[in-house]
Amino acid sequence: MTDATQGGPIRTKGKSILELDTRTKKRNAAEARFKGYGIAAICVSLFFLVSLLVTIVSNGVPAFTQTFVNLSVTLDEAKLDKNGNRNIDEIKKVSTFGYKPLINAALVSATDGIETELTDKDLDKILSASAGAVVRDHVIANPDMIGETVEFRLLTSSRVDGYMKGRVVREDLARDKNLDAAHLDLIDVMAERGAVQRTFNWDFIFGSDASESRPEQAGIGVSMLGSFFMMLVVLALALPIGVAASIYLEEFAPQNRFTDLIEVNISNLAAVPSIVFGILGLAVFIQFAHLPQSAPIVGGLTLTLMTLPTIVISTRASLKAVPPSIRDAALGVGASKMQAVFHHVLPLAMPGILTGTIIGLAQALGETAPLLLIGMVGYIATNYPEGVTSGFLDPNSAMPAQIYEWAKRADPAFYERAWGGIIVLLLFLLTMNLIAIILRRRFERRW
Amino acid sequence: MEDMIQMDRAMSTEQDIKISANGVQVYYGENHAIKDVNVEIQDKMVTAFIGPSGCGKSTFLRCINRMNDTIDICRVEGDIRIDGEDIYDARVDPVQLRAKVGMVFQKPNPFPKSIYDNVAYGPKIHGLARNKAELDEIVEKALRRGAIWDEVKDRLHAPGTGLSGGQQQRLCIARAVATEPEVLLMDEPCSALDPIATAQVEELIDELRQNYSVVIVTHSMQQAARVSQRTAFFHLGNLVEFGDTDKIFTNPEDPRTESYISGRIG
Repeated sequence: MTDATQGGPIRTKGKSILELDTRTKKRNAAEARFKGYGIAAICVSLFFLVSLLVTIVSNGVPAFTQTFVNLSVTLDEAKLDKNGNRNIDEIKKVSTFGYKPLINAALVSATDGIETELTDKDLDKILSASAGAVVRDHVIANPDMIGETVEFRLLTSSRVDGYMKGRVVREDLARDKNLDAAHLDLIDVMAERGAVQRTFNWDFIFGSDASESRPEQAGIGVSMLGSFFMMLVVLALALPIGVAASIYLEEFAPQNRFTDLIEVNISNLAAVPSIVFGILGLAVFIQFAHLPQSAPIVGGLTLTLMTLPTIVISTRASLKAVPPSIRDAALGVGASKMQAVFHHVLPLAMPGILTGTIIGLAQALGETAPLLLIGMVGYIATNYPEGVTSGFLDPNSAMPAQIYEWAKRADPAFYERAWGGIIVLLLFLLTMNLIAIILRRRFERRW
Repeated sequence: MEDMIQMDRAMSTEQDIKISANGVQVYYGENHAIKDVNVEIQDKMVTAFIGPSGCGKSTFLRCINRMNDTIDICRVEGDIRIDGEDIYDARVDPVQLRAKVGMVFQKPNPFPKSIYDNVAYGPKIHGLARNKAELDEIVEKALRRGAIWDEVKDRLHAPGTGLSGGQQQRLCIARAVATEPEVLLMDEPCSALDPIATAQVEELIDELRQNYSVVIVTHSMQQAARVSQRTAFFHLGNLVEFGDTDKIFTNPEDPRTESYISGRIG
């Protein structure tokens, strides 16, 4: 009253709202600070994310290309088929070692005219140890080509490949008995001539692991297959069991001590370290049930145990999120409890259930520890489909276990492949998350 | 057999009594929510339950179609008979009972499906239609009875959740009558609606009276006075007074009823 200006355009009682008082100033400052913290937190996370991605891509992308040598090998009849009768059994008697002279001869002619201090015998160090096997396989498949000169595309050794990718430099080779600097001079000239090329390496994506001395040959394909089989087992078991258990617990089970106990235990199971599930799988599925070791079925079962709590928890959460009025409405028109759940509640909870399931699957796909315990790290040198990786019961590895296996090997070429494997694994996870998002959209779009 | 049931019904339904409740007690765990309620609800009439919040009128309403069964801690004693048959008999399947006693809830709760599917759902699960044409007919009839046909006939396949609040509630009423119930329970059907929608629903209730026995719980005494023929006043879990609506509102016997309708309590 007192400070009201009589007849003036602005009549203020008490404080003016045009000026900030100290309390408001303080509150605004606190709010601005909080926003600042939030932005800083996001920036830090983005920085980590970007540096993670940059590291993975820069380290992993070289694994997708490989250096090859184009070599014309003369398939000498005198060496491969002495009797000249093209008897396949006799041709098979010549081991890969018997092909070595042919390849050496081919190398000598390929490096013809290049000054080098290397002896002819040492030339084949630029090639992968698999070269002999590649030529032999070709001869056994086409015995009538004996005597001709055939163009082969042969893997170079991992050192040469590393040199082409910039991983290996001449100084590194000073104490390396696998390769000399002189070899690299040869490679330089051959690359200029176009005989040595670096191309996309499908064998990395579709091939199998190789022994420790031949990193250039190793691929992730077979363990990808192992992961795929495991995911099928997990999906086929964890989804129905998890969803059925959650529907029963959420919609039908009476509320008593026993169901409370089950609930608490499910939440606890979700927090159990995965290696515990691994040792459980070892004890139950392998030692007790005598299922084959290292097989995707055992891996799948173990990962099912691990995934179930995740699926149960997310399914129950999405069932809980369905408004009770929908259940009332269904019961009110005379639907039975099961009809109410299956006709109305479940469709509404579907997006949540699917997202939870796919997150559970993604978690299982990336899990390594339990697989180490049930022996899914053994390397499988035979390629699909002829090999041992044709089913649920055959020994196999899985992508994360394969990556772990590579990462712990000594040769830096394997290290590169571990990063490459991580890229493949991440692509799988991205695809699964994408499917989750699409399914979610799909089911939500219905209304 | 048929005759005996008919006779039995005739005996117990003097003056066309549809629902009779005797000594009904309801407990929520330790809480005694309904205390010894006796009430007789007549056929083809609107009966209103009024009373202050928490007096048990909704609880009692939910006993009539056994919706309280879904609450674990709820216990019902005494007997409630519809057409002389005890609905809490061990042989009674609540699902069958609820087909006979429809319910409309406080908040409009259409299924997140099309308008057509909302109404067709009940008839479908009860097998009331043999083919699509019959189902179409049932849906149209129900929507007409729900006084919403003209507004939705051109968009039967649009989602029911896209309608306005009042339309949604009339859709829910249509859904409830589609299963051909004999009794219609309404739990504060207009509390979420604006006055215009309320008027439409009230008008609808009056029409429904020709075919059904309607029981409505309401907070609005004016509404009770407008739509009902009989009114029951609940207070603290007791049925205080039950009689003709005119009498309750003009000349109540119990002082508590008088205080409530004149606005002194509740």
